Amino acid sequence: MGTFRDRAAIAGVGYTPFSKDSGVSTLTLAVDAVLAALDDAGLDVDDVDALATHRVGDSTPPWVVAPALGLPEVTWYLDQFGGGSVSHSVIGQAAMAVAAGVAETVVCYRAINARSEFRMGGTGRGPAAIFDVQYQAPYGYFAPPQQFAMYARAHMNAYGTTHEQLGHIAVGQRANAAKNPRALKRDPITLDDYLSSRWIAEPFRLLDCCLETDGACAVVVTSRERARDLRHVPVLISGAAWAGGDSFFSGAGSGPGGTDLTVTEAARLAPRLYAMAGAGPGDIDVAELYDCFTYSVLVQLEDYGFCPKGEGGPYAASGALALDGELPVNTHGGFLSEGYVHGINHVAEAVAQLRGTAGDRQVPGAEVALSTSQPGYVLAGTSALILRSDT
Amino acid sequence: MSSAEPQAEPKAGPERRASSARARFPRPEPDRDSAPWWEAVRRHELTVQRCEGCGTLRFPARAVCNRCRGRAWEWVPARGTGRVYSWIVNHQVFMPAMAGEVPFPVLLVRLDDGEDLLMYGDLVDGSPGDLEPGLPVEAVFLDVDESTTLVGWRPLR
Repeated sequence: MGTFRDRAAIAGVGYTPFSKDSGVSTLTLAVDAVLAALDDAGLDVDDVDALATHRVGDSTPPWVVAPALGLPEVTWYLDQFGGGSVSHSVIGQAAMAVAAGVAETVVCYRAINARSEFRMGGTGRGPAAIFDVQYQAPYGYFAPPQQFAMYARAHMNAYGTTHEQLGHIAVGQRANAAKNPRALKRDPITLDDYLSSRWIAEPFRLLDCCLETDGACAVVVTSRERARDLRHVPVLISGAAWAGGDSFFSGAGSGPGGTDLTVTEAARLAPRLYAMAGAGPGDIDVAELYDCFTYSVLVQLEDYGFCPKGEGGPYAASGALALDGELPVNTHGGFLSEGYVHGINHVAEAVAQLRGTAGDRQVPGAEVALSTSQPGYVLAGTSALILRSDT
Repeated sequence: MSSAEPQAEPKAGPERRASSARARFPRPEPDRDSAPWWEAVRRHELTVQRCEGCGTLRFPARAVCNRCRGRAWEWVPARGTGRVYSWIVNHQVFMPAMAGEVPFPVLLVRLDDGEDLLMYGDLVDGSPGDLEPGLPVEAVFLDVDESTTLVGWRPLR
């Protein structure tokens, strides 16, 4: 573990504007985000020797972005299949490439027109061709809001989790977004607004669901030594961990809870991640938790050890997740209110918090952050990072 | 190990015709492991695999046991009953064919044959408002058209 911890750092962050209709290609989005991240780091295109991304047939791969940017040479690349489950995997692998000496400066990006071109909800296209789909799609069940609603109902059944508890997550994240100039949704909402929003797939209402966003975000990963010579305080990658396994399968080894859908793969990953980073739940100053839906935040509060299993609802409703709470969560507003760039914007927000540059939403003295991907329900895998300010 | 069996005419029994809109939902796309399972559903038989090495029942279909890694199995009849584990009531029109169907429930059922055997399906002869965890249900077969049959679940009380 010691050979990886804190060897690589995030030195730059860049965004395109977030919108419902970018009017440009995912290639243009990727190029713009990469250039913005390099500008933030104080680096040139010529300093980049590697690119990394993930996609599900909805974006532009590194070998197209590299010549479009005019990179002199690509010494390492990653083009990973997958959605939100692998958003943090990409950055973890970039850190491994840097730690191994295979690459020196990797720009990780995610570029999607998730509203105007490729809607995850499936509108206008068929379900993805994955193993489980044949048993689900014929019943009209294949869209992520439906799947997560099924898991949320299982959690309600097992632990008495309530709509109001889910609503507190939506309301709290909107309050954070109100302090984020980049956020698409900044008007505050109340619990009544949440409870009166229309059904999508019971038990989910509209305000349980993340935005669908056109946009891109990129982060520059380089060595700690090089990052120290650049513009910002380096944000060290202290831990990166992965887990996988499909909880729909019968039989041993099929998820930490077998077919208990109230437990995610994150419960397996978390102990390894904490050990790798030399930190525990009590050390986390801010948590940017993958929030495709309110419920994915709730279940991760449990599976990352911030509260006991089954108590995610009361914990979320206690005010603990607010900017001035015990565990500030999704300080940018998350996918629910800032925008949906499939995970990488959580990493970018963690970097801002650890640099101390998050403006009105800054958590004072934030030094250690957890940032997570989709916790391993759909397409099964998951990945997460612990980041630390190099001060 | 059973081989793919020829398609038979659906048997008499608790069979239902799905709505015409439902017929425009995505069709099952069986893989090389699951084709016999779908063919059995077409015959109005609910089956699971039983490993010939360790006897473990398994679903969804695949060729290798994840307990003993054995590659020999047989298809065995499931009891055809289970208990509701979770459900949704879908309101959003995620594809045009849903427009005439919403709101509709989708169930996730634990088979009585094994705690870890989960199957999806329609709710038949029941109201979403009556759903509760652990509700006993029995499998019924929904003939969508001449080539496709799906599984539905009917409350037993």
